[in-house]
Amino acid sequence: MNQKKYRQIRIAIIVFMALILSIAISIDSYLLAITSIITGIMFTVIVKSRAKIRVDEREIAIREKAANLTYAIFAPTIGIGSALLILIPVTNDAFYLEALGTVLAYLSLFLIALYAISYSFLNKKYGGSNSDEK
Amino acid sequence: MVEATVMKNNIKIYRAMYELTQEQLAEKIGVSRQTVLAIESNKYLPSLGLAFKIADLFKKKVEDIFIYQKEEENENQ
Repeated sequence: MNQKKYRQIRIAIIVFMALILSIAISIDSYLLAITSIITGIMFTVIVKSRAKIRVDEREIAIREKAANLTYAIFAPTIGIGSALLILIPVTNDAFYLEALGTVLAYLSLFLIALYAISYSFLNKKYGGSNSDEK
Repeated sequence: MVEATVMKNNIKIYRAMYELTQEQLAEKIGVSRQTVLAIESNKYLPSLGLAFKIADLFKKKVEDIFIYQKEEENENQ
């Protein structure tokens, strides 16, 4: 199975899952929804294990850049957004906005902390150190 | 004066000499066909390991396959 066929099968699984999920939502069946998600994940894992998927260095480089770009966009957006939500004067109509802002602020802090920890870990792993050259 | 560098390669020529398709070359060096295409069109610079792998496959030195060019550019222009 090549990459193209794998992609086609994956799209078919996603479409099938979406169909079952929409039916499950329309008939209010949580069991059907959960079953369809689990089945979809299982099928995807099985198909992926059988397919010869080549993850090469170019794809890894693209992933790195995409992750970096996502972080660079998401962190300031969520940070500024949460600050605005907290600073907006509380009114009776929008009393929940401050709480939402607080949750988003903690989320952005968690994201920044996670980035800092993973950066520090990877920096040490790949030979980086703060000590002076001897 | 700023020295700009350009990396070019002769993979397409060597691939033709060895009568290899992009897919076959990709198979031999363990990458995808898209990566071979990107390297050939100078859109992606391969890692040192991959560059050595390609050179080794064509039984050439890395500098025979990959050409490092210096282009002098005036900052004011």
